[in-house]
Amino acid sequence: MFSFTAVSKLNTQLYFGMTVLSIEHLHKQYGKIKAVDDLHLQVEKGMVFGLLGPNGSGKTTTLGIILGIIQANSGTYTWFEGQKGSRHRLHIGALLETPNFYPYLNAVENLGIVAHIKRVKQPNFDSILKLVNLYERRFSKFRTYSLGMKQRLAIAAAMVGDPEVLIFDEPTNGLDPQGIAEVRHTIKQIADTGKTIIMASHILDEVEKICSHVAIIKSGRMLASGTVGAIISDDILIEVAAKDLTALENIFRHWSLVSRVVQQDDRLQLFFAAPISPDEINRYAFEQGLVLTYLELVRKSLESEFLEITA
Amino acid sequence: MLFLLQLEWKKLYGNTAFRILMAFYVALLPAILLTGKRLKDLPPPMISNDVFFIFPTVWQFLGYIGNWLCFFFFGFLSVLMVTTEYGNKTMRQNIITGLSRKEYFLGKIYFIAACSLFATLYYTLVALVIGFFSTDTIFWVKLTQNADYIPRYFLMCFGYMTFGAFLGFLIKRTGIALFLYLSYIMFIEMILRWGVHFQLVKNRSMHFYPLNAIEDLVPIPIPEPANEFMDEFGFGLFLSPTEAILTTLLYLSLFIGLAWRRVSRMDL
Repeated sequence: MFSFTAVSKLNTQLYFGMTVLSIEHLHKQYGKIKAVDDLHLQVEKGMVFGLLGPNGSGKTTTLGIILGIIQANSGTYTWFEGQKGSRHRLHIGALLETPNFYPYLNAVENLGIVAHIKRVKQPNFDSILKLVNLYERRFSKFRTYSLGMKQRLAIAAAMVGDPEVLIFDEPTNGLDPQGIAEVRHTIKQIADTGKTIIMASHILDEVEKICSHVAIIKSGRMLASGTVGAIISDDILIEVAAKDLTALENIFRHWSLVSRVVQQDDRLQLFFAAPISPDEINRYAFEQGLVLTYLELVRKSLESEFLEITA
Repeated sequence: MLFLLQLEWKKLYGNTAFRILMAFYVALLPAILLTGKRLKDLPPPMISNDVFFIFPTVWQFLGYIGNWLCFFFFGFLSVLMVTTEYGNKTMRQNIITGLSRKEYFLGKIYFIAACSLFATLYYTLVALVIGFFSTDTIFWVKLTQNADYIPRYFLMCFGYMTFGAFLGFLIKRTGIALFLYLSYIMFIEMILRWGVHFQLVKNRSMHFYPLNAIEDLVPIPIPEPANEFMDEFGFGLFLSPTEAILTTLLYLSLFIGLAWRRVSRMDL
């Protein structure tokens, strides 16, 4: 089973550098519905931070609040430890929900407006547009774009002015498989340059592949947070079987390394708190006089953790 | 300020509606006045159609035509440039990108002022050109006799646009905002003033409604009916220029204040 204490211990691991974003006791209520409920989290410089949660869990509302378009009922958020003052959004590139542009302007003109607001003197649109694969269509009006192109332009817009922090809300929404792969590749490329990225998604696979850290939220509440590695492989699970399952269960129950034993069908699930290699298990069983007929190291995927946590 | 004006310009110069509305204003302002050349039989006390074109009355007639055009074209533009940013969610995006709500709001107000300035300068230019070619002997006094129409014209255009933007910020939807803009000015306020207020109290307080004050900044030049009205009810048909200016300023600050209150508090 998933262990909260182990995760919160890992969560306190030290990150040197600046706290890019810190959220404390954030509340937002729409009528009786609590969209964000006492949310607190911290994003350090260089993290690729995934905000993971099912649809309607308050991801977009949270991002809306920290981007200044939704007013919180209570709670605070601080960008860059307050060092950039009220102009902090100029150092953030964000794509929230749908791509929003002036439909009668082309890609270059739309990016021009973004650059104007961001006070970017000599914007390098060509390279950004090439990166998102829109260079050939740069003089077409925005309204003629397909959904995937619009989404890619929004990613381009977020990168104008080379901001320190990028926020992507469901960045692969509405893209075809090739587009999804391209966008993920692009985000990974950006992450490799050391930029801080905050990404909201309900797609586990995406978070698992891209993010270094993850916070799982449901109904506006934080359920767990930590490094992706910690959440995925905090518990090591090994499945074993032998002809005499009762004897097998007996010997493993008395092994100090095993934290828990669960029988499932004709197999035993062994949980280990610390990493262990399968040959140790095999040797232990053999020394106790039992021969294993089955041995498999099961890495719990984020998906199964996610389902367990949000259940 | 220049920063915000440039931003609004970048947003609008490629907009077809913006170009069409501006083109209509530029073409129609002189064109409508010049159709007066074809009017031969005029009701008394106008002796000839010359009054439309000569100093100093050209300021009044062109001003009144401009009053209608500003009401339509600049008012529409103002409603559109506020509501379409809601519809396209670009206002939301502007804020996310880095504009503060205050900057966004000020950008709209500055742009409204810039449009009004353009409208006024064009009005001045057209009046001067037509006046010069139509007036036989031009004295400086004659030319400048009604020149106070210029600042009043500016306030009139700014007033219509502010009212349009106010409705836009409040209602957000282009269709409904435009409909309300038109119907408030064309019937609702009329009904309130003449149908309700005037029936209850026959008093000049009926003139102090916002859009009537804006309209009276550049009133229709009809001295004869105005005098008859004066004789019958004991008060003028229009507000005096000073009253109109003060009333307009009062209402405009109210509109701007309420719109800002809305913009500063709402979720986008």
